[in-house]
Amino acid sequence: MTHLGVQGSQPAADEADLVARLRGGDEQAFEALVARHYGTMLAVAQTHVRSRAVAEEVVQEAWLGVLQGLDRFEGRSSLKTWILAILVNKAKTRGVREARTVPFASLAPEDDEPAVAPERFRGPDDAFAGHWRAYPGNWGAAPDVALEHRETLAVAMRAIAALPPVLQTVIRMRDVEGFSSDEVCKALDVSAGNQRVLLHRARSRVRAELEAHLDG
Amino acid sequence: MIAYKFLRADGSSVFTGFRWPLPNGAPGAWVDAPVEPCRSGIHACAPAGMPYWIGRSLYEIELAGDIVEEGMKLVASRARLLRPVAAWNDSLRDEYTRMCADRAHEHALGASPQLPEWDAVIEPSLPEGPALLGFVAARIAEERGGVDAYRAERDLQTAWLVERLGLQDGAAS
Amino acid sequence: MAEHVTCQEVVELVTGYLEHALPADEAELFEQHINFCDGCEWYLDQMRTTVAAVGRIQEEDVPPETRDKLLTAFREWKRR
Repeated sequence: MTHLGVQGSQPAADEADLVARLRGGDEQAFEALVARHYGTMLAVAQTHVRSRAVAEEVVQEAWLGVLQGLDRFEGRSSLKTWILAILVNKAKTRGVREARTVPFASLAPEDDEPAVAPERFRGPDDAFAGHWRAYPGNWGAAPDVALEHRETLAVAMRAIAALPPVLQTVIRMRDVEGFSSDEVCKALDVSAGNQRVLLHRARSRVRAELEAHLDG
Repeated sequence: MIAYKFLRADGSSVFTGFRWPLPNGAPGAWVDAPVEPCRSGIHACAPAGMPYWIGRSLYEIELAGDIVEEGMKLVASRARLLRPVAAWNDSLRDEYTRMCADRAHEHALGASPQLPEWDAVIEPSLPEGPALLGFVAARIAEERGGVDAYRAERDLQTAWLVERLGLQDGAAS
Repeated sequence: MAEHVTCQEVVELVTGYLEHALPADEAELFEQHINFCDGCEWYLDQMRTTVAAVGRIQEEDVPPETRDKLLTAFREWKRR
């Protein structure tokens, strides 16, 4: 049976070690850290500012802020939570400067997008309305749906990159970075219900992409 | 409290994959899980719930600690498997499946107006087994006679199971 | 209260189920359905696999100019 393989937070000892290495000037550690969080930070920034170019500037400013504060980082929150808070701060400041006052929640797609195309289910006038016309694939039985398979991961990454910033942010924060639902709600100032709808939509799209690739 | 639990063929839980300590001449080890609605707790059912939870293998389970009723299931904080209900074998599963299919046909075609579109689903569903056919029969019954008919069909399925599995005296044979 | 949910409803409930956010009676109907419907069991598994696959994304490419800028900044900071 498949269990959720959500990436966990770094154990405290690992993180203390990483911080020590960063403070010690370990360039590799710094580059790896940037690579690990860049995608999420960019997505979050794009929900606050108009253009991707400006969002990239915001992310860079955030990293500068991380360096400026790194000596004083006490580890009361996790490193990634702290980094993200700096990013959100920079993004909001820049957003205000741009007179971007559209609240995050309203950036979500308006329509009620179904998780699966309605044609795949029996119609409202059919017997057993709402049931699958044909079952989706049984990935548990397919050997090439190995998570380790580079192609599968690449498809997932492409699918995420194709999501609008709002959806991308939520799935990245929850499923890539492993932030909790509460943390995401706090960082984005959305309700739990709202966050869940966004997560649902994002995951559904990514699943559909994986399905198209694997069963297609 | 004695109840029943369906597991997969390998003795793991259907929804969590948890591997149960299986009885082997003697009851399996006790398992503890705090009861948190929708989050944790050990699931089992009384005979009335069995048609809803039909699985590959069936066990008699002893529940202890905090026990709550939630819909068609029981949720307990402590339990152990007492013995397999051996009567629930492939042959009986097939009989149950056939029984449900026959009743489904009866509901679909046995009265006017007939429901041929509903009937058409029955035979192709057979390979998917007893859990599905139980639903199909109850669902077609509901199409005929509403929610009461759905529940009545499920009760009939329970009665069939209780009788064929020998659960009347409270102990599996 | 409904007696059952359809597959079309199940695929919309999946995220709520995995989040343990469904009301008890809805979660029950969801599980009852998964129990008899292979198609939806496989869909739930697909969704779990999707989440797991996403969770394995570790590091991604950073635009080269950004990478260079940040590395420069880091080297300056090193000298503090």
